Amino acid sequence: MNLSLRRHSVLPGFGLSLGVTVLYLSLIVLVPLSAAFIKTASLNWVAFVAAVTSPRVLASYRLTFGASFLAAVINAVFGLLVAWVLVRYRFPGRRVIDAMVDLPFALPTAVAGIALAALYATNGWIGQLLAPAGIKVAFTPLGVLVALIFIGLPFVVRTVQPVLEDLQPELEEAAATLGANRIQTFRRVIFPAVLPALLTGFALAFARAIGEYGSVIFIAGNMPMVSEITPLLIITKLEQYDYAGATALAVVMLSISFLLLLLINLLQAWMRKASGQ
Amino acid sequence: MSIDIRNVYRRFGDFTALDNVSLEVRTGELLALLGPSGGGKTTLLRVIAGLETVDSGQVLFHGEDSTDRHVRDRQVGFVFQHYALFRHMTIFENVAFGLRVRPRAQRPGEAQIRRKVHELLELVQLDWLADRYPHQLSGGQRQRIALARALAVEPSVLLLDEPFGALDAKVRKELRRWLRRLHDEMHITSVFVTHDQDEALEVADRVVVMNEGRIEQIGSPQEVYDHPATPFVYQFLGNVNLFHGRVQDGHAMIGPVAVPVAGMADSASAIAFARPHEIEIIRPAPGETGIAARVEHVLAVGSTVRIDLEPDGGAAAIHAEVSRSELRELGLVTGDRVLVRPRQVKVFEAA
Amino acid sequence: MTTATAALAGLPRHAVATPVCAARDATTEPVWVRRTLIGLALAFLGLFLFMPLAVVFHQALSKGVAVYWRAVTDPDALAAIRLTLLAAAIAVPLNLVFGVAAAWAIARFEFRGKSLLTTFIDLPFSVSPVISGLIYVLVFGLQGWFGPWLADHDLKVIFAVPGIVLATIFVTFPYVARELIPLMQAQGAEEEEAAVVLGANGWQVLWRVTLPKVKWGLLYGVILCNARAMGEFGAVSVVSGHIRGLTNTLPLHVEILYNEYQFAAAFATASVLALLAIVTLGLKAWVEHQQNSPEPVPFDREPQP
Repeated sequence: MNLSLRRHSVLPGFGLSLGVTVLYLSLIVLVPLSAAFIKTASLNWVAFVAAVTSPRVLASYRLTFGASFLAAVINAVFGLLVAWVLVRYRFPGRRVIDAMVDLPFALPTAVAGIALAALYATNGWIGQLLAPAGIKVAFTPLGVLVALIFIGLPFVVRTVQPVLEDLQPELEEAAATLGANRIQTFRRVIFPAVLPALLTGFALAFARAIGEYGSVIFIAGNMPMVSEITPLLIITKLEQYDYAGATALAVVMLSISFLLLLLINLLQAWMRKASGQ
Repeated sequence: MSIDIRNVYRRFGDFTALDNVSLEVRTGELLALLGPSGGGKTTLLRVIAGLETVDSGQVLFHGEDSTDRHVRDRQVGFVFQHYALFRHMTIFENVAFGLRVRPRAQRPGEAQIRRKVHELLELVQLDWLADRYPHQLSGGQRQRIALARALAVEPSVLLLDEPFGALDAKVRKELRRWLRRLHDEMHITSVFVTHDQDEALEVADRVVVMNEGRIEQIGSPQEVYDHPATPFVYQFLGNVNLFHGRVQDGHAMIGPVAVPVAGMADSASAIAFARPHEIEIIRPAPGETGIAARVEHVLAVGSTVRIDLEPDGGAAAIHAEVSRSELRELGLVTGDRVLVRPRQVKVFEAA
Repeated sequence: MTTATAALAGLPRHAVATPVCAARDATTEPVWVRRTLIGLALAFLGLFLFMPLAVVFHQALSKGVAVYWRAVTDPDALAAIRLTLLAAAIAVPLNLVFGVAAAWAIARFEFRGKSLLTTFIDLPFSVSPVISGLIYVLVFGLQGWFGPWLADHDLKVIFAVPGIVLATIFVTFPYVARELIPLMQAQGAEEEEAAVVLGANGWQVLWRVTLPKVKWGLLYGVILCNARAMGEFGAVSVVSGHIRGLTNTLPLHVEILYNEYQFAAAFATASVLALLAIVTLGLKAWVEHQQNSPEPVPFDREPQP
């Protein structure tokens, strides 16, 4: 154990615990992940660019990122609303609903996928209401959006909720004594306080959505150029033994995910700063 | 602006925060609500502000029933115990908040807001902090900013909840003198809550002593200190010695010392209070009466000398305060036997 | 001069009169606003949470209980259940041990590269499940690094049980560590240090001081880890090969049945997983309660001292 690595502590087990951590992390996560990048390095630049910018791939990006962004926006709005209602208001069933918000975390994505497909198919409970209006959800890009809203739902609620709970009531009372009405208080006092959490939740929901596979494929219809998401395209290439193509796409997605992770870390640091002082 | 509080009740579950409270706050005075925590003083302050509703009773502003008027429309300035500054706004924006949220028709222009905020920041002597954020300020500075923010809306009443509670001792003392001076300049009707008797007695024009949701006494600092109306006030304000006795022939007998009392039945038990400086210590001499006691401890710190006395028979220790010259005259040392008698005493019927 | 006060005499207090029409609480919204917001939130949750859940059970039972029972007791379904349980039974304990080790190193010591390590532990959360599977194919698949060597020794990882287990470990990797690290950081090391001063060795400190302190957080992490392990679809799908009765987990079995238009059977199988999710949420709520996590403070005003 290299003592210069750490500050002195009387507690034992630093070497063992760090050793286990680093070894296991390397074996399970870092080495396999690096495989994707090393595999891509064997591809020449032109082939790589061709693989990740073909029209079908570009269409899948548009759908994946567009639907993910839209879903995250919708989740930001309704997630804030749900968090607000759960924190501020008492109504029957509140605790059950509070617990149920995590359902998309707990429900296997395949189950969510077939459930949403059944719900929004033209003969489904919701689909048959929308069909007369000419709105088709299942097997269209709209279906992708619905699935991504479902799986991203808890992120905004769960990041905003604790911030709302910790918000000092005195701040709102101060605003009221200074003559602000509720809308002004929300806009000028409450919203700025929850904004870092809201953006963090948005980014988390977005990051989750762009990688989502299981809940989308059942409802998307998966038509190339129309309703085919990038993760599905990776699998399609894999099934056609186009390992290089699949890996190139994976590297693009991974890079974006890492950028998002960085962004989320920055947002969370901001959030801590905003609530810490 | 005068405030009239009439028969106000407020309960939280089983807890009675305000129990038939009536109080008149006079125009332009600085009033202290003093009492132990849980005594209802903060609730009363919040009721005046409109931050708290009442179960029954009335709050009148300038003779006009304002019980149901929303806090927004009451024109009160409220300074919160922990200041409640908006942390995402600069000091300038904090102070400007009340002006910016006015309905459009009454909202001053940007230049006017700027002038007004700087005026207020100058008033609290913190003009140079305008562009900082609250977390960059010291506790005392935040307190003054909270005050400036409350004053920005030109309130007709200023309400302060434990205004110095979160500050360290030195800053507290400075700030309370400063608040007193500020009040003398502005003459805005002000009510502040405190559990610190020194603070109430030093700063306020009148003091309202509250306990268990009721008002125990209202009076000038001197009145409540020198003439406490109830045993509670006696014990709450300053150090006090408590004696137990019995009434005989219109006198309360505190040991061998007889204190004349009126209107108390014979053989009723009585309790008597005397402040440390009201305790007289004499050397035993023939013909002198008093409670026989032994000097336990003499502590000569500061201008007065504190003497702890142990009465014979195991009653509670008696604390006395004498001047240094008195001590010299008496020549007391630990272990001396003395007679103790209250020079001045207030007797109450015991429960 | 001699008035005994109510405080000392304990006089009965006044009964509280009936409330008069009181001023609105300063920091809440009018009733109609509150109702509208609650209504909107419930409508949104109903549409996106409760209806999907309800439709699973509705479809599962649409062909009657007999069909339902046959679907969930089908030999292939039972094989899928066994494999799902096996994967979770391997992945969860491994990630549990890792989580405790990582939390011990990160929450109890200061060292260079700590924040980088913490970020790396989070990585599996930000990787698409499909890519999680893909990277194992790249390492262990026939075209991968160890593929030829494995083939020579007649070992199969990809399209076999080991691949499924590995993919499951990967996607559930951070759960326990993520739960424990902030908890142990918040709790501080004082009690552990006291134990060391009193002569306890490292394992004794871990068993007698640290683990009892973090048990609810640990359990919480395990519950979430297990739910994900049993429910993972994308990553497992890539490495499984979908061999019925052999490399099919429960979620993959759902997919196969669905793609074969055996909807009732697919939903019946799905309902088992949905029940698992509901149990998970129940356990989670129970653990949160045990942790004594502060109930969201009702916005009704507390007594002001």
